[in-house]
Amino acid sequence: MINKRLIGGGIAAMLLALITLPAAAQSFQVQCPTTTTTHPVAADVEPEYTNANGFNGAIKCQQISGGDGFATMGDGTQTYMFSFGPLSGLHDMANGQPGTQFPGVFNTVAPALLPGDPATADGATGGLVYNQGTPGTFTYNGAVGLAPNADSIANGSCAAPCLDGHVDPRPIMDVGVMNGNIPAPLMAIDEDDEFFLTLTNVGQVMRPDLFEQHTVHFHGYPNASAFYDGVPDASVAINIGASFTYYYLSPDAGTYFWHCHITPPEHLQMGMVGQLYVRPRQNRVPNGVSLYSALQTQQGNLRTRCDSSDILCSNPLPAVDTGATATGVKYAYNDGDGTTAYDVEIPLQIHGFDPNFHFVGMTFNPENFTGMKDKYFLLNGRSYPDTVTPGPIATQSTDGVMHYSQPLPAIITLTSGQKALLRISDLDVTEYQTLASQGIPMTVIGYNAKLLRDQAGNNLYYKTNSITLAGGESLDVILDTTGIPAGTYYLYTPNLDHLSNDAENFGGLMTEVHVL
Amino acid sequence: MSSIDMKKAISTAQLVPVALAMVGLLLTTAAPAAVPGITGPTFNLVATPEFVTQPDGNFVYSWGYGCDALNPPAAFVPANVSASGTCSAMQVPGPTLIVTEGQTVTVNLTNNLPTSAGNTSILFPGFTLTSATGAQGLLTKEAAPGLTAQYQFTATTPGTHTYYSGTQGDLQIDMGLYGAIIVLPNNVPAACDAGVHASNVTAQAASSVHTVAELDNRLAHAAYDHAGTCYDREYLFQFSEMDLRMHREAEEQVAACGATAGCTLHVATEPYFPTYFMINGRSMPDNMDGAYVPQYPHQPYNGNPHMHPGELTLLRIIGTGRWQHPFHEHGNHVRILARDGNLILSQSDVNSLAGPLLFTTTTTPGVTMDGIFEWTGKGVNWDVYGHNPASGDTNAKLPCDADSNGYNTAHPTAINYFEWCQDHNKPLQKAPFGDVGGGGPVTLPDPTLFALGAWWGGSPYLGPNATTRAVGSTGTTPPSGTVANSPSEEAGFAFMWHSHNEREITTNNIFPGGMLMMMLVDSREFVIDETK
Repeated sequence: MINKRLIGGGIAAMLLALITLPAAAQSFQVQCPTTTTTHPVAADVEPEYTNANGFNGAIKCQQISGGDGFATMGDGTQTYMFSFGPLSGLHDMANGQPGTQFPGVFNTVAPALLPGDPATADGATGGLVYNQGTPGTFTYNGAVGLAPNADSIANGSCAAPCLDGHVDPRPIMDVGVMNGNIPAPLMAIDEDDEFFLTLTNVGQVMRPDLFEQHTVHFHGYPNASAFYDGVPDASVAINIGASFTYYYLSPDAGTYFWHCHITPPEHLQMGMVGQLYVRPRQNRVPNGVSLYSALQTQQGNLRTRCDSSDILCSNPLPAVDTGATATGVKYAYNDGDGTTAYDVEIPLQIHGFDPNFHFVGMTFNPENFTGMKDKYFLLNGRSYPDTVTPGPIATQSTDGVMHYSQPLPAIITLTSGQKALLRISDLDVTEYQTLASQGIPMTVIGYNAKLLRDQAGNNLYYKTNSITLAGGESLDVILDTTGIPAGTYYLYTPNLDHLSNDAENFGGLMTEVHVL
Repeated sequence: MSSIDMKKAISTAQLVPVALAMVGLLLTTAAPAAVPGITGPTFNLVATPEFVTQPDGNFVYSWGYGCDALNPPAAFVPANVSASGTCSAMQVPGPTLIVTEGQTVTVNLTNNLPTSAGNTSILFPGFTLTSATGAQGLLTKEAAPGLTAQYQFTATTPGTHTYYSGTQGDLQIDMGLYGAIIVLPNNVPAACDAGVHASNVTAQAASSVHTVAELDNRLAHAAYDHAGTCYDREYLFQFSEMDLRMHREAEEQVAACGATAGCTLHVATEPYFPTYFMINGRSMPDNMDGAYVPQYPHQPYNGNPHMHPGELTLLRIIGTGRWQHPFHEHGNHVRILARDGNLILSQSDVNSLAGPLLFTTTTTPGVTMDGIFEWTGKGVNWDVYGHNPASGDTNAKLPCDADSNGYNTAHPTAINYFEWCQDHNKPLQKAPFGDVGGGGPVTLPDPTLFALGAWWGGSPYLGPNATTRAVGSTGTTPPSGTVANSPSEEAGFAFMWHSHNEREITTNNIFPGGMLMMMLVDSREFVIDETK
């Protein structure tokens, strides 16, 4: 190991000699400007959408760690993961919400944080009290590590408190190490947002032989830039002990997802997979305004215009103006006819873990890629019955500290008549998986983050009782409980061998829909 | 540790030299190719055993279709690659058969497989045979060992089609007996040679920064007889997998049988455990070498898509073998035009397309798809060319005159032809960076803090002019010549196109490999030469 480190240092020195870039600042850092050229006025709100050429959207920020951690499988097995963890929005994440924040929330200095927070600070009084499923009074959602830049204050280049992205590495390591999640931190942004995502590589404590970089691939982003696409072969990848901030103007609304792109068969199987979706402008249309006319308004800006002049446009004006108006309801897409309305939004990510691969991944052994065989079938990083356990699930890692490594339940609770939007993505790396609905029909309205609509404006939605996805695909399903009696319904896989948790012939890729 | 280093799986120390050789291959400049094939309408094919190569050093006994040396193909197309075109007695995939809608196609298949392999045949899914001769088999007429079967059909529907063995397909297709048929439309709409399609051709032929004209290697200017299917560039992707055990058993049994009369193969085709995952018959990185290069005498086709911003690129995608593979195209969505040669149109308006937009195009055995991909950089919110009005370099100060769709199509010879004008002159970085202005949203980390990829163009920007202005001629990469995307010559945006069943981007358990290739979006400074 010592030799490897020396070699690594030598390579770094060689690269250093070749580099003509100006050296800048420290290794860990975050970026979350309160204003930019695109958003010149600081504001922590999504403004109403009334003008295609006005200042729409907002700035959103998030910080994540790249490292490792442990999760608990449905049969109680604790599994080692390569994984991303939250370094902002800790409170929201523990409550199953996205960790994405406005600058005013992100750019706040943390109270004293403990390793494992918020799982360890639950109750907030004595510190190391832990109650599964209740994040308690922990409320901090800002950027872990953010601290006043004392140097800049001292030399007069920045006025106190000078929260310019400078961080104190200690809380980052305290909170970030061994704190990986499955799925990786949830991200949600709105169309027209500028999104600053800082990836902070805290290293993998369980695998000191690896000096792995990590990246974020925004899977499915239209017109991605190679630089921010997260493919290490085509761009840069951040080393341990440093941060890289990804920047995107939000793409078209839809259900995307994200993952590390370093050695994908390894890092994805080991757990570096997460969810990401973009909400449409139509959510911001003022109440009472025609959705059709709002979509016509979008035609007034070439960036947001969508018609047959662009072969990659999926939501042209609908063939029929239904007269629907904005009423405060949320929509999956800029449909212009209100047909993608929903009451409850449920991100569901399909994945699979091969316990042999994970054991080998923890124990320094050579990995078997082609022989990979998943034995745990996961919805939001959990197998049934854990999928219906409310709140975050904590696992004690090898550091002896509890971590909320599985923050997202997959239980769906609706009152009769409500519509649920299932944002289903799949990052299994070995095989296709099917998810079926028993009792409540599925309506597929979007596929691969695009509305199902032809160039003439006809909706191509279809009803089904099951959907099948490969890793690398997503779709949007609406579960409409109109006329559905109260009771418990199931989403489960008809791949019947996937209804198991390793050797237990029970569990697997399944969750419950409770209609009240 | 570089980002493309090998993850050795259950491999042993003997594989290390191989792995090093792979790194070497990875770093050679890749060569694009269009959709090379042979024309008919009469094709004289033979089925022959040979060895194909894999990047782990294995030579794998295989069966493939090839050309009858005594009755060679009418021509190799596209014309610009015809000089280098070859068609040996065996290749995997089989020769790409290129015909025109309405033609009567005749395929003569001579079975030169070992006698112990028995009969073989070809199926032409989606076409109705008008005549067939040979021994009656289960699915079609077959060619007995040493004999010839003949198939005739009319190429009724344009688009991408597949052909493969109809005899003991669980063995013969895994052994390599499959290929593609491309049917070109009869009536290419006039729209395909007007507007941006015309100016794209102008841009290919002339440039303000180089004197070499780019060649037009399209087989046609539309995929179908429909203006929604016009395209500016095209590539073919045939997905297949291979179980090494079956190939070894076949090889051993063929040898054991020798010329013994009545001796036949009994190769178990289950359990199926493929370890090679190929696109166009080659595993990565071999698939990014040129078409028809001598090191792969029986795997002539490559997969190395290059394109310029704004070019509508036709993807012809074919699933072969047994498994589905989720083919993920980084960079943008693909508009699916057709499935199995059937154009998908709106029920209410025949002028409107109705196929889905996919960022992952699942390949399914026997299924073909035609789709359009395009990359423009629209909406990135920073100037990918790193234009700087304060620069002394005229190419840093080019105008961007938006057409009705917002693109700079008025200047076909300019570097920034087809630039998305809304983001023109918008800086990315907060501080000025070389000869690229500041005022943007982000600060890049100190360059000592990240690892660099072999296809990293040297800067966040597109093309040599912007990259050189930002970071100097060597960029932030190791010295030029050791990278696959030279900062001073190409500096393209590289995107990985690969199976998202990620374990399939391995070659016999070695990462990287398998169903993976890099697609490059190049600025107009780089001449895409598909004849290489």
